[in-house]
Amino acid sequence: MVRVSLQTSQVIKLMWSEKYRPQIISDMVGNEEPRAAIMEWFAKWKKGTKPLLLVGPPGIGKTTMAYLVAKQFGYDMIGLNASDVRSKSRINEILTPVLGNVSVLGIPMIFVDEVDGIHGRGDYGGAAALVDILKEPTVPIVIAANDDSLEKMKNIKKVVTTISFKRIPPRLLRVYLENILKKENVKLSPGSLIKVIDKSRGDIRSMINLTQSLINGFNPQTEISFEKINVEDGVNAFFKANSIDEARSVLYSMQINPRDKINAFYSSIVTSDIDNPTLAKYLETISDADMIYGKIMKTQNWRLLRYLNDILIKLYQNDDRIRYTKYNLSWPLLNRIRWDGAKIKSLSSVMAKKLHLSSSAFVSICLPYVLFCIKNKTLELELEETFGDIIEKEMELIQ
Amino acid sequence: MKFPGTCIVCNEKIPVNEIGLWAKGLGVKHEKCAQINELQCIVCGSPAGCPQCEFQENCDIPHVSQLCICKKCSEENDAFSSYQKLVNKKFPILNS
Repeated sequence: MVRVSLQTSQVIKLMWSEKYRPQIISDMVGNEEPRAAIMEWFAKWKKGTKPLLLVGPPGIGKTTMAYLVAKQFGYDMIGLNASDVRSKSRINEILTPVLGNVSVLGIPMIFVDEVDGIHGRGDYGGAAALVDILKEPTVPIVIAANDDSLEKMKNIKKVVTTISFKRIPPRLLRVYLENILKKENVKLSPGSLIKVIDKSRGDIRSMINLTQSLINGFNPQTEISFEKINVEDGVNAFFKANSIDEARSVLYSMQINPRDKINAFYSSIVTSDIDNPTLAKYLETISDADMIYGKIMKTQNWRLLRYLNDILIKLYQNDDRIRYTKYNLSWPLLNRIRWDGAKIKSLSSVMAKKLHLSSSAFVSICLPYVLFCIKNKTLELELEETFGDIIEKEMELIQ
Repeated sequence: MKFPGTCIVCNEKIPVNEIGLWAKGLGVKHEKCAQINELQCIVCGSPAGCPQCEFQENCDIPHVSQLCICKKCSEENDAFSSYQKLVNKKFPILNS
């Protein structure tokens, strides 16, 4: 994991979304009134003040706002997300020391992100324990959610002050994006600019990432260049890329299910004609990617997904021997499974009836002996002519 | 209104006897919320010119942050700096 995080930090240096992350509240764009309301809440905060619930769609700066305001008011922020507050015991383990022993920890502030991600019954008292804490705040508590209309948010909403964030008007996003492009000394055609903004649907982070992907992209700035590329074009373009930046852009443009992304690289690699040491290296990387995906699924900590592309980028070698393949077995083997497999299945069902066995027992236990016997001419079976080919084929293989 | 409802635009309650515009499958909204809104330019204070905006099709006016920037102000040099200056002037607490 250390190796991964080192590489990640190197990549982050290049990411515009990190480079241009607001450093102070006034660096942010849009939602001026909610921003002012949060500042006012912090300025007036005293023990017992109702906690704050920030509600709004993803990518518009709720989390950034919480971090910046904590920094600006000199709080030590304790950031949690829904996966940390699943059970009552876990909540108490993390938050009781903060709530009860303030002086030891400096000036703490609690931020719980994605509270709408807490599952009602699936969480062992997590939601109820959180509400108990929200009722008697001894430190500033800010929670964030994408949607407050859910049933499970009802009890939380009763004990908090809600501030709603809205999507940012597209033209304001355009001004913000043009400012970044100017600082980077790069240009984007007006058509592409509008399309990037429309596509990001008010999500600033997504807009900046899409723009960077387009600017550093493997494709020129055409109207379709940042459309989601399909998995086949993506894998082929990745291995054909002339630089690691180009390969990274391809990876980011492949906006598909992470499982499908890992599978596509795996099947393409294992069916390619590459030497064993290289194959081992590639499989090691696929294994790392698979492990992080497994961890995401197990913990539901989807924030880890941001590291997936940074792991997969290690596959980049400008290796034109690798081409996209959907299936993770070689064609001769796939053909054999498809055609010979059907014939063996049919043979086994006939023989199983004769021998009073199940088909699978016949194939796994008896078939090799039957084939030997037929070969040594100690057994003659009265079978249909269609089975002649497959029996001969299997007899050759048995040697 | 025969029955009380919640406005789908502003999320506020609409009491009985008040005028509300209802559509099947959509819900109800206040009369004033049903009027076509236009965003305001934070820089010059005039309407942002939403009917002529290049993003008109993709801008959900009632559901976006209500301060925008008009075409003229957005095309000026350092438009983002002007935006920031005006935001800080209008909301001094953001710069405290």
